Amino acid sequence: MIFKLANPNRFIRFSDRISPYLFYLFILLISYGLFLCFFKSPPDYLQGETVRIMYIHVPCAWFSLMFYSSIAICSFFSLIFKHTLADIISRALAPLGASLTLATLITGSIWGKPTWGTWWVWDARLTSELVLLFLYLGIIILSNSFENKTKGDKYAAILSLVGIINLPIIKWSVDWWNTLHQPASISKFSSPSIDPSMLTPLIVMTFALLFFSIQVTLIRIKSEILQRKIDIIRSTELS
Amino acid sequence: MIDIFIKLLKREIKLAIVNISIIISYSSFFLMSLLIFTFGIGPDIGKLNELYSPIVWLIMLFSIILISENFLMNDYRDGSLRELQYLGYSEELIIFSKTVVMFLILIIPHFFLIPICSILLNLNSIELIRLSINVILGSPSLILISIISNLLTIQVRQSKVLQFVIIMPFYIPLIIFTTASNSNDSSDLIDLNKFLILIGFFLITLPIALFSGKMILKEVNK
Repeated sequence: MIFKLANPNRFIRFSDRISPYLFYLFILLISYGLFLCFFKSPPDYLQGETVRIMYIHVPCAWFSLMFYSSIAICSFFSLIFKHTLADIISRALAPLGASLTLATLITGSIWGKPTWGTWWVWDARLTSELVLLFLYLGIIILSNSFENKTKGDKYAAILSLVGIINLPIIKWSVDWWNTLHQPASISKFSSPSIDPSMLTPLIVMTFALLFFSIQVTLIRIKSEILQRKIDIIRSTELS
Repeated sequence: MIDIFIKLLKREIKLAIVNISIIISYSSFFLMSLLIFTFGIGPDIGKLNELYSPIVWLIMLFSIILISENFLMNDYRDGSLRELQYLGYSEELIIFSKTVVMFLILIIPHFFLIPICSILLNLNSIELIRLSINVILGSPSLILISIISNLLTIQVRQSKVLQFVIIMPFYIPLIIFTTASNSNDSSDLIDLNKFLILIGFFLITLPIALFSGKMILKEVNK
């Protein structure tokens, strides 16, 4: 299946076919999720209504990490198998990941003001998330600063593979260092330390964001493939 | 392999001796930046004393990025980088020899600069020794990272700003550990654990830098 989709034309056809469904799913989930967030989930006993920021903040944070790892995996494939689609996918994912990281930082600081009493602290997790934003920016700028797109992709792939060192630091920073940011409430290995009335909207919002991100990524990949086709046609016409 | 490495090392040393003005410009850059920081912070010697080690590391960080260009860009422009590769020298050895020579070239001015500046900033001898060991142990990693950033941007025209943007995230852990090992007030002359962290950092950076450097060099000369 994956190897079949590695053909750009087939990929465009596939994405055209699933895009509408993704969009409907996203609309459905986001409306249900927002309804749950605002009307069904209870306010926190300590933080009050501000806890609702979590339903945006946490999915954004998860996906900011997930997209970076996806970029790194794509970079690995692009460097080893020299496949153009992997380059295109990482090029499409980078701005999305950067904006999710920025959203995480902004929602986090909006949440931090009422709960911690400050917009920003130089805490391990906050700082490492900021570093992740800079890594994303570095990858975006580097891949766009070459006239030859393929060259930019290769360099950006190397940079993103080196930058993957930062991911475990962000993930486990709350466990390694004594930080203001709370440790993870949801873990694969233990039952979540969060009430189901709050867990359900969080999961619904996560899936809504996931479908939204996949939709946006597919659009970006399609436009990038078409752009490259146009470039090839132009260059052959010129020569 | 050792013969090839020594050959490369000799070549780099010869080139460095020809461009000996780098040391002078590096030293004046170091002193001038320290002066600027002093003007910025104010003449309070207590505050300056506290900030000495971060200031030294910041200046080193910027100057190493700026100076690494002399070691790579010139070789790239006159085509000797490509030639070395075609002659069969392995990319790892090329990068490693450059790192060694850059380290040697930059460590010489530090022997004079850091003690002189610590007199100006009223640093006691224990802190001075600690800072010097820190510089010796931490700068190889800085140099390796700067070489990678330089290689990544070697084919970009406006590469200076880009170089700073893409490489800053990788400097952050190093800066944290190097300045942290100076800020404790323990009277032990050598806090071994903190120096071991720096050595560990170098041992992590070395293979990653050599491997990614090899990939980039191959890409550069395609």
